[in-house]
Amino acid sequence: MAEPVIGIDLGTTNSVVATVQSGTPVVIPNRSGYRLTPSVIAVAKNGKRLVGALARRQAVTNAERTVVSVKRLMGRKWSSRSTQDALARLPYTVVPHDKERDDLLIQLGESTYSPPEISAMVLAELRLDAEAFLGQKVTKAVVTVPAYFNDSQRNATKDAGRIAGLDVIRIINEPTSASLAYGFGKQIGEKQICVFDLGGGTFDFTVLHMYKGVFEVQATGGDSLLGGDDFDNRVVDWLAQPFLEKHGLDLRKDKMSLQRLRDAAEKAKCELSSTQQVEINLPFIASKQPAGPLHLQGSLTRPQLEVLTRDLVDRCLSVCERVMAEAKVKPTQLGDVLLVGGQTRMPLIQARVRQMFGREPSKSVNPDEAVALGAAIQGAMLLHPQQEMLLLDVTPHSLGIAIAGGFFQSILPKNTTVPTSAHHVFTTVKDDQTSAKITVLQGESEIATQNELLGEFMLTGLRKAKRGEVDIDVIFDISADGIVSVSALDVKTGLRQSITVTASSGLTEEEIKTAAKANEEWMLGQKEHPEFQKHKARAEEIFKQFDELWPRLQQTAANGLGKEPMQRAEAALSLARLQVQQKESAGLLASLERLELMLGALRGAVERGLVAPRGDRS
Amino acid sequence: MATLPTPASAGVDLPPDLQNELRTFDAAGRDVSLYDLLGIAPDADGATVRRAYLDRSRRYHPDAWFRKNVGEFGPLLSRVFQKLAAAYQILSDEDARAAYDRTLSKRVSQRDREALERRALGREEQERRQREGRERLLRTKGFARIGAARRLYEEALELAEGGERAQAIAGLKAARELDPRRAEIAQKLAEVEQEAARSRSLLAFKGAREQEEKGDFAAALKIYRQSLEMDPTNAGAAAAAARCATMLGDTQQASLLAARAVELAPDDVETRFLLANAFVTLGLKVKARAELKRVLDAKSDHKEARALLKRV
Repeated sequence: MAEPVIGIDLGTTNSVVATVQSGTPVVIPNRSGYRLTPSVIAVAKNGKRLVGALARRQAVTNAERTVVSVKRLMGRKWSSRSTQDALARLPYTVVPHDKERDDLLIQLGESTYSPPEISAMVLAELRLDAEAFLGQKVTKAVVTVPAYFNDSQRNATKDAGRIAGLDVIRIINEPTSASLAYGFGKQIGEKQICVFDLGGGTFDFTVLHMYKGVFEVQATGGDSLLGGDDFDNRVVDWLAQPFLEKHGLDLRKDKMSLQRLRDAAEKAKCELSSTQQVEINLPFIASKQPAGPLHLQGSLTRPQLEVLTRDLVDRCLSVCERVMAEAKVKPTQLGDVLLVGGQTRMPLIQARVRQMFGREPSKSVNPDEAVALGAAIQGAMLLHPQQEMLLLDVTPHSLGIAIAGGFFQSILPKNTTVPTSAHHVFTTVKDDQTSAKITVLQGESEIATQNELLGEFMLTGLRKAKRGEVDIDVIFDISADGIVSVSALDVKTGLRQSITVTASSGLTEEEIKTAAKANEEWMLGQKEHPEFQKHKARAEEIFKQFDELWPRLQQTAANGLGKEPMQRAEAALSLARLQVQQKESAGLLASLERLELMLGALRGAVERGLVAPRGDRS
Repeated sequence: MATLPTPASAGVDLPPDLQNELRTFDAAGRDVSLYDLLGIAPDADGATVRRAYLDRSRRYHPDAWFRKNVGEFGPLLSRVFQKLAAAYQILSDEDARAAYDRTLSKRVSQRDREALERRALGREEQERRQREGRERLLRTKGFARIGAARRLYEEALELAEGGERAQAIAGLKAARELDPRRAEIAQKLAEVEQEAARSRSLLAFKGAREQEEKGDFAAALKIYRQSLEMDPTNAGAAAAAARCATMLGDTQQASLLAARAVELAPDDVETRFLLANAFVTLGLKVKARAELKRVLDAKSDHKEARALLKRV
């Protein structure tokens, strides 16, 4: 069997893992049987690491040692406005780290972790789920990111994959990924569609053209700080504000009450997608008051929620208008509208989308699962190319450099198909200049500092000459992952110039390796269940009994029992052997029970005399 | 295109014919036209251009040979795909394509030149026919003209109703030419043009708002100004532009914009206060005092205005 590859939708609130099994994309349930795994990490009071639903369930009582929405911090600089805005809403502690790199660390229990390390914990959990499901080791993955993610955010995601011991063969954009799930296995001649992707933390809008299995992204755009969380926050404020006015107490300041408010807000929001009114009841929301405990009660109607969040929906729609203008397409010309991300279940969003595009949004993909399925399909497309499909994605931001006067000069415009490259010739401005600094930026502003800094590069060891006589050709490459690399050549001599990165928020090679090693150990520990040794002993006993029975069984088979029961036993045995090897305690237990039943039945058959008459029975 | 007689590389997972094609494409200089790169005729329409590009991508995109042993061909695949993408970019944009065709027609084969000419003719022919049709109508007298104008007018009403303003405007202009005396045509034209300007202005305004929220005041100011130009009655855009100019420290500009905003919306107290502030900074005390008094007339409890008035 070909080496498995998984697709991972690493979401702000929930993550999903999928794979392609005998030509069909399937979602892999986690070891608790659920298809969504909350992207939550916690350290319990006893020091144990909790991931997913377990971590989420205890978030209220352990808010300070629980990390949620880490995606909002991926690849962000400590001093950036978006980070500071995000921090105001997060219940856990985040501290600045390296001054030079301007990065940040998350306090979790007694240790601190970088955002990629936290994301890696989610990825490692999903990897264990996939290995349990597939019964074999999984190392290859395609991981999705919002289309609007910039280079540092993509690199941080790739680093997270490496820490989790995954070879991330490709980073792909979430809306594009969803469109692959939509187009997979359908006979679509030619069609233009759009994907409206409103997830937990980000909004993306993408226009694509599909033609005989080639998916060409025409334009993409979004807002990396607009998502379902913002809708929740509106409800949180709506609950907390009257309480503040009445009791003079801001519930949002207390981490535990904030977590309870958040949970209640999210639940109310989700329920209002199917009902018109919900009751919100939070008893003992403030218990340490001198005047006795305080409770919060209220009811929220769907129209009220819509008023609270109308401007957020407006922001989404104005992004749609802009992207359609860039793709030179009118809303009514599009052949289908896909809604992706849990937040698109909101009736107001569906109504506004219907109004804008003059059609019913497509119901053919599951908004929670399409992204992961698409990633699995892309993985299969790349590694097992029997699928005649190809993805042509674009870069979501313009890439350029800072020039004199603090302005930004674009070198590669946004919506350029990747992989792509461009070059720019720099000339020395001083006599005998031996080095030059290049500041690489991503964004759309004319002012350099308002764009995202990707890195500063030093061109060193330039040949000495009069000013203006040394021309250096700097080449910018954007890979199919949307990741940027820079190289430089002396135009006259054709010699490669050395480049050193002097500012980048990414982790160093050393840091990634250390973290990956720590993760490897954790994963092994996860697999070694306390009961495992007991199961292993029992398994060996069963294997021995099968070995003993086997010759007689072969005779019985020849005598009318048929080959099928033996083949089934053989399959079950090899699975159990693998589970022993992989220390899959839970799976092994199930296999052993099955094997014991089989052993009993087969023994019975042998004893009942389904044995060759010319056999050597005594 | 001449194929270079290079032997196929062994130990590489690419089929030998693809290896040859890649070498040929990679070596192709400016003498190979973009049409030849995509394998289409110079008079191919937009859909054909796109299909050719997507078909070729399937073969030459580096992902089609992902993690295969491509050896020396790795960089070639990437370069060839980028060439195709660049060709598609130019040929799928009508203006860029027309410009390219003009440079091309000087140095192409007879066959291609004919195709190019056909396409150029096609472009002109379409315009000419439309023009002639209108002129023919203009020459006819009486009822036919008025009838045609009426039909165009009615179509335009429907188009305007359906939000197709650009087409409605074109139709109304043609109708006005045919029947200049009908006041309702001119009136509707003015109306739709204003609506279109307003909607463009609003769209720009929204974009500017986003930039302003992000803290990019220079970009926001630029777009707010464009929004104001598109719809000179948009008081909100003027006020917002004034706000951005103030943030950027460009008091001169801020005062002009705020004055405009106040003129358009005399009840906007905050913008009037902004204007007064700008006057103070510019040293125009008399003007500042007059504006501050008006602020206080409208809103007597405006503390900042009172404080500022005292100061000047």
